[in-house]
Amino acid sequence: MTTEPIPSASPSLTKLIGELNKLPGVGPKSAQRLAYHMIRLPEVDAYALADAITAVKQSVVFCQECQNLTDSSPCSICADEQRNPEIICVVEDPLDVLALERTRCFRGLYHVLHGAISPLNGVGPDQLKIKELLARMADGPVKELVIATNPTLEGEATAMYIRRNLDRGELKVTHLARGLPVGGSLEYSDELTLSRAFQGRQEL
Amino acid sequence: MPAPRLYHSEALTLRKMTLGEADIIVTFYTRDSGKLRAVAKGARRNSSKLVGHLEPLTQVSLSLAHGRNLDVVTQAQVLSNFPPLKDHLDAITKGLYLAELVDGFGSEAQANPALYNLALDSLHAIAKNPESDLPLRHFEFRLLTVSGLMPELYKCVECRRSLAPGAHRFSPNVGGVICLDCNPEEARIRPLSVRALKVLRLFHRGSPAQALQLRMDTALAQELKTLLASAVSYWLEREIRSNSLIEHLQRNP
Repeated sequence: MTTEPIPSASPSLTKLIGELNKLPGVGPKSAQRLAYHMIRLPEVDAYALADAITAVKQSVVFCQECQNLTDSSPCSICADEQRNPEIICVVEDPLDVLALERTRCFRGLYHVLHGAISPLNGVGPDQLKIKELLARMADGPVKELVIATNPTLEGEATAMYIRRNLDRGELKVTHLARGLPVGGSLEYSDELTLSRAFQGRQEL
Repeated sequence: MPAPRLYHSEALTLRKMTLGEADIIVTFYTRDSGKLRAVAKGARRNSSKLVGHLEPLTQVSLSLAHGRNLDVVTQAQVLSNFPPLKDHLDAITKGLYLAELVDGFGSEAQANPALYNLALDSLHAIAKNPESDLPLRHFEFRLLTVSGLMPELYKCVECRRSLAPGAHRFSPNVGGVICLDCNPEEARIRPLSVRALKVLRLFHRGSPAQALQLRMDTALAQELKTLLASAVSYWLEREIRSNSLIEHLQRNP
């Protein structure tokens, strides 16, 4: 028995729903809602969205230095001469760069790994931008590497892997402090967080 | 009477995946009801009371609510992080390999306390000796045993005669050791040394403490690794993904 496709009054609308449905976190119902919302959008807004998608696919590249997503390589952070090239902060994701930039307390450069080691999902060191980081370490002026991977099991494993593969003795390797979040509560903290918060306690 | 909406369980977290903006789906292996997937709402936020309690390779006490599709984690409390497992890269990769196998062999809504206890004991053994492969080999063999898939080690699986002392052959798809006189059709045959057979028998009859005290040379360790990996992959019906990271780390120590 063959399955006949469900007849549709508008094949282009069906196609749009199908494409939206491929986005992460968008189920079939959400895809339908988004598609009908786009139909109701003023033409100028709908075309602006389409143009933005086209532009991002045509112009975004990896920065040759930090591997962040950028319109021109090297990116604006790597090209900024006011920043300290002797400190590099390693993050998992381009969004982590934005989060750290919002703090305005780090004036060094970045390196984006584009993920973390996750063997259960088939992500190993070769799928990340670790080789590029090690090459950058080998011939750059870097004196300190700040590993700012997420404090998850995968993030910690990635940090340990990078540490193991750095063979420059004089390089200072640090990672962000582990401990209690602002607004958190001791009562609900897990034992690993609490023990690391204790290890990293500071004089008042 | 309808089942109560809330229930408690003790479990080992195997893996987690993100869902939407701040939720995660966690796969647990519970002591009382086998494998379980549940949603932890808001658990990616730093301010969540669940954050830190649901990392993979953590033994947790859980409170859950029955949901329409997936149950919902309402509370979680760490019972053990298997210290110092999470401070050592080799131990983490071996722990994740174990988690992949428990995920693959465990069944949903079907309790297997022997498998649960085996996973906990093996994680403690890995944490104690992160560089040794022996805890994983012992775990693989015991995993087959507690899953009802133990390979035959005392008789030829084809002719059912007791095995004479000496080298034999091993076939994962026929179900164990084959004597030198038998050649069953479609058997994927691997050589089996006397030493490897003795280690497998010790895994079967000896205590975990005895098994984990073994000293093996590289050739014997490699033979056991190949034999057990072939048996585990055969029953899993796929390659073990996390093995590639263990091998990568062993090639680049």
